[in-house]
Amino acid sequence: MSASSGEGSRGASRTAIATFLAPALVVYAGFTLYPVLRTFYNSVHLFKERTQEFVGLRNFLDILTQDPVFWKAVGNTATFTIVGTIADVLGGLLLALCLFVGPPLSRPMRVIWFTPVLMSYVVVGIIWVWLYDYDWGLINVILRWLGLGAFEQSWLGDPRTALWAVLVTHLWKWLGFNMIVCLAALHALPGEVLGAAELDNCGWFAKLVYVIIPMLRPTLINLLVLSFIGKMMLFDLVWIMTGGGPLWSTETVSTYVYKRAFDWNTFDLGYPSAIAVLWSVMIVLFVAVMTRLLRSRDRLEF
Amino acid sequence: MKLWLGYLRRTPLVAFLLLYTVVTGGPFLWVAAMSLRTTPEILDNPYALPIPAHWDNFIDAWTTSRYGVYFLNSLIVVVSAVLLVTLIGAMAAHCLSRYRFRANRLARMIILSGMILPPQLMILSLFQILLQFGLYNTLAGLSIAYVATQLAMTVYILEGFFAQLPQDLFDAARMDGYSDFEIFWRITLPIGLPAVFTTVVLNFIILWNEFLYAIVLITEDDKRTLPLGIMHFMGSHQLDVGMIATGLMISMSPIIVLYALFSETLIKGMTAGAVR
Repeated sequence: MSASSGEGSRGASRTAIATFLAPALVVYAGFTLYPVLRTFYNSVHLFKERTQEFVGLRNFLDILTQDPVFWKAVGNTATFTIVGTIADVLGGLLLALCLFVGPPLSRPMRVIWFTPVLMSYVVVGIIWVWLYDYDWGLINVILRWLGLGAFEQSWLGDPRTALWAVLVTHLWKWLGFNMIVCLAALHALPGEVLGAAELDNCGWFAKLVYVIIPMLRPTLINLLVLSFIGKMMLFDLVWIMTGGGPLWSTETVSTYVYKRAFDWNTFDLGYPSAIAVLWSVMIVLFVAVMTRLLRSRDRLEF
Repeated sequence: MKLWLGYLRRTPLVAFLLLYTVVTGGPFLWVAAMSLRTTPEILDNPYALPIPAHWDNFIDAWTTSRYGVYFLNSLIVVVSAVLLVTLIGAMAAHCLSRYRFRANRLARMIILSGMILPPQLMILSLFQILLQFGLYNTLAGLSIAYVATQLAMTVYILEGFFAQLPQDLFDAARMDGYSDFEIFWRITLPIGLPAVFTTVVLNFIILWNEFLYAIVLITEDDKRTLPLGIMHFMGSHQLDVGMIATGLMISMSPIIVLYALFSETLIKGMTAGAVR
């Protein structure tokens, strides 16, 4: 059985290796690689009744030059991603610091804070649709109770607030995740560094900016990238809470792709595929540039 | 150290932490309360305790509102996908972590690349492909799509763990005349059980909550998974808040049970990829 070529059990017969890898590679080839290639193929075609016509880069040109909804979606996604990513990582770090100083009940609290991470977008989205309800949603109820009835809003129904309302929900769901990751990184910091900063009579804010954040840099960069990717592809929460409305105020690139493919009854998969390709390439480029820029600068060793 | 800690520990911090705890946990308790009340009661006062508790809401939801059908569909799809991805992924991870062969790096790169591919790049043509194979609108089709989406992460976690198992174990097994498959089945899997368990629970939760693939690949009511079923019910009975809340509780219940039993494993597992 074994090809014992002096490598002990590190070696194995070709048949064994093939048997172990074949199922994974077949699934990968059939349901990951093939769909990706086919999406690229679709993106340069126009779908007719039963055939596809090769149109070259026309889909891409149309998207970039004469599709205002696409650009609206890009603007929304960009706003959501930039504000959301920063808020996500900073918020998670602050929450982690709160727990790091070891307040009473910190263990049960972090378990509760993590709960929204585990719940589906459908659960989270519907709960927040209710919380934002104009008549009986908790947010307006509290505003009225505080005598701030002038500020009550149809939070998801007003194009000016809808995107921000969805963003708050998204933060609420993911802050716990960022908090846990930052907390783990904080606990991994060497104690003597924090102690030295203490001796230097460093204020807590200075300590945060000059000691803690630089030392957590690799973790924070990871979180930035993860949060960035998640938000650039945002679909579920928007689809559940607003469906992209009102007036395209929460339309994201992903919801627009879905609508063009399945809701517009054009049965053209070419155009939405082109958007998907364009956007995915953008994401990969951005992530590559981001990691390059953020990682290459002076690495801290400890 | 003690000074600023002592300062921070005081009331404002604790008050803030308790407030945030209420903000994150409160909405779930609110839904739990609503799930035991009738819609007229809720519309009368949404923020009251469920007295008397209408436990029969759940029977109603399960049968009349078809949440039972959706629940079973979810269970079938998710359990089959998790079993399959665990087996396939563990085999690949065992092979990549244990054996030296020429295409090792290439195979690993190919399989793990699945982690960075945006779903939007696959979902539209996956719809076409499943349609061609007669798998569109079937639980089997959704399940196999799920296996593909979770494969990379599963291999990644398992390979990292399997690689740390001591080589001596495998040398000894080889001496005892174990075949490669026996080594996988009787050494790697049992010893790697903690990691296998983590991937099983993680994949279960991720797929139980999955929405994008489901909404693209399933349109028939009899095949809907729970997230789709609840959205569908919400679409046609938007004002029936009580029944929707009951549905949300049904959909959350398996996760609540898992989280109550394995909270630390889950927290560690979910964040494993991001901690450096």
